[in-house]
Amino acid sequence: MGEGIKERLKGLSVFSRLRIQVSHGSIIAFAALVVILFVAFTVRIIPLRWENLSGGTSLLNEFDPYYQFSITQHMVQNGLLSPYWPTHWVNMMKWYPAGLDMSTSLPALPMTAAALYQFVSLFGAKIDLMTFCAIVPAFIAVISCTILYLIGKDMGGKAVGLLSALFLALAPSFLQRSSLGFFDTEVPGVLGLVLFIFLFLRSLDSKRSLRASLLYSLGSAAALAYFIAGWGAAYYLIDLSVLFVFVLVLLKRYTPRMLVNYSLTFGLALFIGTKVPYVSLGYSVSGAILPVAAVFVVLIVSEILRNNISMKTKLSLVIAGLVVIVGGISILALTDKLGGVTGKFVTVLDPFIRAASPLVNSVAEQRIAAWGNIYIEFGIGILFFLMGLYFVMRNPTNRNIFLILFAATALYFAASMIRLLVLFAPVFAIIAAIGIIGILKPFFTLLQEAPKTLAKSKRRMARVSKEYSGVAVFIIFMILVTNLAFSPQTGGMPRAIEQAYIPTAISASSLPLGGSGLNAPVGAWLDAVGWMKTNVQSTNAVVMWWDYGNWLSDLGNVTSLADNTTENATQIANVGFIFMGNETQSMQMLSAYGQNHVKYIAVFTVLKITQQSSTTYTASPAGYGDEGKWVWMARISGQDEPRLLQEGFMTPSTAWTNENTFGSTNAQTNAWVWNDQGLNCTVFELMNQAEVQYCNTISTGQSFTITPDQTTTVPTYFQVAHIAGVDAAPNAYGNLIPLVAIYSINWAQYDADHGITPPSS
Amino acid sequence: MVFPKVPDQHKPGRPLIPNGLGVLFVLTTTVYLFSIYFSNKVFNLGLDTSANGVSAALTLAVCILFGGFMGLLDDFMDLKWRYKAFMPLIAALPLMYYALELSKLGIIRTSISLPLVGTLDFGQTYIFIIIPLIVMIVTNAVNMLGGLNGLETVCPAIVILGLMAFSPSYILMVGPLMFWLTLAYFNVRGKIFVGNAGSFAIGITIASFAVISDLKVNLLISILPFIFNSSIILLAIFFTRKRAKVTFDGEKLCADGRKSLVTIIAYHRPLTERRIVQIIAAIVALFTLIAALIQLLS
Repeated sequence: MGEGIKERLKGLSVFSRLRIQVSHGSIIAFAALVVILFVAFTVRIIPLRWENLSGGTSLLNEFDPYYQFSITQHMVQNGLLSPYWPTHWVNMMKWYPAGLDMSTSLPALPMTAAALYQFVSLFGAKIDLMTFCAIVPAFIAVISCTILYLIGKDMGGKAVGLLSALFLALAPSFLQRSSLGFFDTEVPGVLGLVLFIFLFLRSLDSKRSLRASLLYSLGSAAALAYFIAGWGAAYYLIDLSVLFVFVLVLLKRYTPRMLVNYSLTFGLALFIGTKVPYVSLGYSVSGAILPVAAVFVVLIVSEILRNNISMKTKLSLVIAGLVVIVGGISILALTDKLGGVTGKFVTVLDPFIRAASPLVNSVAEQRIAAWGNIYIEFGIGILFFLMGLYFVMRNPTNRNIFLILFAATALYFAASMIRLLVLFAPVFAIIAAIGIIGILKPFFTLLQEAPKTLAKSKRRMARVSKEYSGVAVFIIFMILVTNLAFSPQTGGMPRAIEQAYIPTAISASSLPLGGSGLNAPVGAWLDAVGWMKTNVQSTNAVVMWWDYGNWLSDLGNVTSLADNTTENATQIANVGFIFMGNETQSMQMLSAYGQNHVKYIAVFTVLKITQQSSTTYTASPAGYGDEGKWVWMARISGQDEPRLLQEGFMTPSTAWTNENTFGSTNAQTNAWVWNDQGLNCTVFELMNQAEVQYCNTISTGQSFTITPDQTTTVPTYFQVAHIAGVDAAPNAYGNLIPLVAIYSINWAQYDADHGITPPSS
Repeated sequence: MVFPKVPDQHKPGRPLIPNGLGVLFVLTTTVYLFSIYFSNKVFNLGLDTSANGVSAALTLAVCILFGGFMGLLDDFMDLKWRYKAFMPLIAALPLMYYALELSKLGIIRTSISLPLVGTLDFGQTYIFIIIPLIVMIVTNAVNMLGGLNGLETVCPAIVILGLMAFSPSYILMVGPLMFWLTLAYFNVRGKIFVGNAGSFAIGITIASFAVISDLKVNLLISILPFIFNSSIILLAIFFTRKRAKVTFDGEKLCADGRKSLVTIIAYHRPLTERRIVQIIAAIVALFTLIAALIQLLS
């Protein structure tokens, strides 16, 4: 009986073999990764604090995400292909009167979000779509960090992987562009970037089986296609990979597998990518993509040269290869089939071109990165990056060569444009992690070994103890602490928290406010879009500077004339002219857009309240609203001076090319002083009236008075409809008061004054 | 055994002395500066100065940590001079950023007023070129003046005292200086060495503290003996490819050439180790005093 039981128990031992064998190291690594990913997610959703938590809804951040949201919403309501097929969707609430062709957008982000939303909805989850879109970036960032862990693990083990994931999770540039509400192209972009690198490098790994290698190639092709469909920076990744393969060939590291993987990856990726709406077949013959074909020819020649053929034949093949590459490009160029690299990408390669384009240069994130931006981004971690670079260069494996090329090129692009720091963040994370582990390795080794003699001179150690190694490890740890947790450049606040602990732009009314001191959203803009939604018909156009176009159309449910897509430079110049011209000139231009639809004009201005005595204060422009942006209105409209003169909107006596026609900077105070033309331009009049109205409203019945720093003519045809934020206490947001002043256009009086017959509605 | 031991070359019998105690300076200074930062945050005592939110205490802590780290690497790997010379440039980054923020507030002066020379205004190049140069030169110069018991601890302490006398942020250095003087006490008696971790850390401390306190002229004058020493060492290596060498006869040190400040003093004139240290310390004190007088008069 007892023997029988024993036999049966032995039989059960088969189950013990099913038990998963996990080492302590793996458990610790897994736990650390989970913590890193948890931190990555929670840090990104901190701005929820200022959103409508009780209602369970959140707004999006900045301006571009609203454009992506409107496409996503259209896809959810009308199908994933609806913006592109069967007809192009033209959104008539943007870029009045022509509307905006929404099919000229990359589909990866809205399609991903729409598909995920519909998938989640299948389970009965009722989530507000905008809230869903606001949280998607944080989720995708977590996935990106996980993939970077895998890349780091391949590069230098689990420790490198974990540190890479941690650095990327807390990299300010990536954090900012994947935090709550940042629903923009960088989100699928970084995901596609790291996924492609992970799969592509694995596909080239000669230690893997051919089958695995081919599978990784297929995967990398899919990732690249997703990247092409998601972010315009795909040119960069394609050219980087092509350059990498070319360098490997130059270093005589060509293998037949390289040809197979390269062909499969790029062939399939471009095949899928060019099927993407908006990308089209022309993409494959653009100047930035042609190197793919050129390196393909190089790989074929390399493959043939491997065979035992005569030198004469080899020479002929090399010449033939060169003829094919040069001839092919020449034919495409001569037949005008060679697509150029579009303007924005050329301006990244040559940032000085941007200086000549006020439209591109007016966007802060497109400016050249100063060293301070790079220091704020990486802190003293630059030390570990340099050390990592040293270790990587000392051991030039294929993977390390890729890292070197990636680091060098991404650093160039990041230096060229602040926004592209996000491209540099992943490679910085990996190389800095390699640097830290490379430095720590000897100390760890010493910690595990018995003390030994190292050197004899007085200045160097004769013996090194474990404790001393421990101190070294501790100092490196402390440097990391000062880099990640108590960064001096952020006043001791973790850089990640400083980046994340700020509300979405609209919840902060575009003010640089945040942190624990801000207990509620800054209401001006929320009030303004709420008022428009209730009081303005959606077909009515509200004229505002292009920055706010998406907020008007997607949150205010009104029609806008321009937005962040900067689709029509002429129209932006016209809007700039409307604001910089005097009231008569502005009305002429507004009239050209049609009196039936253009009903409102609005400005956003921020006042700085300065105390003069215990009961008196002065209001003056703070510089965060149109009182800072008007310079770009002047420059952009000034660039179109010849056209505006020819069309009769500008007159030679008051024509301008930049801001200097409207005033000058006081050399002593460094403050801007408006001249007569400046005092009478529409934007100043509108801002000033809002300032005066705020001062009057808030001082009424109070023990203090606030006086405006200056006054000007009250506009005749622009009548105050609503000033959002006018009831904010002077100290509600430090000393800043944001105001969104909405004016209705009095067409009746304008027509009567000018003897114009009103158009029939 | 917590600290590794090395032979003291200038003592009879070459006894083994614990080396590398400079890391304790790095650790205690870091703890002290963090305490300043936190106490200032919690109690708002006004101990930590800041420029547009950039903390002076934390900036100094990062620089000192970096100096200690560099010294540790040198102790372990015997870094080549080309790395040692340029690595402090990385430590200059936090200082440059701090100075940049100070300049935005109009607090830092980008000019240097020198007697007989007048005022030299460097403008923005002060932040981007002069500060990195200050950090690089001072760190390496301080590191190069050593090799005798007390020399590498007493002389930097004198310079720091001179800087503290005029610095509005002197509180940042009270703790570190007290600890450094404790180390100096034992170092003078031949009980400990601070190692490269200590000498690099104190070098970066001097440079960083001077930049944070905006005491350029003071630093420039008081550090002259260090720069003189480095210059003749480098010139000797460059022209003769030989380093300065001293011989020990069991009681006194004697030099066979004049290739460093120590060997100039001991050239054909045997002196005890302590005597040489006293002479060099007196020279450093003299220059620090001159710097103080110029600071007072300007």
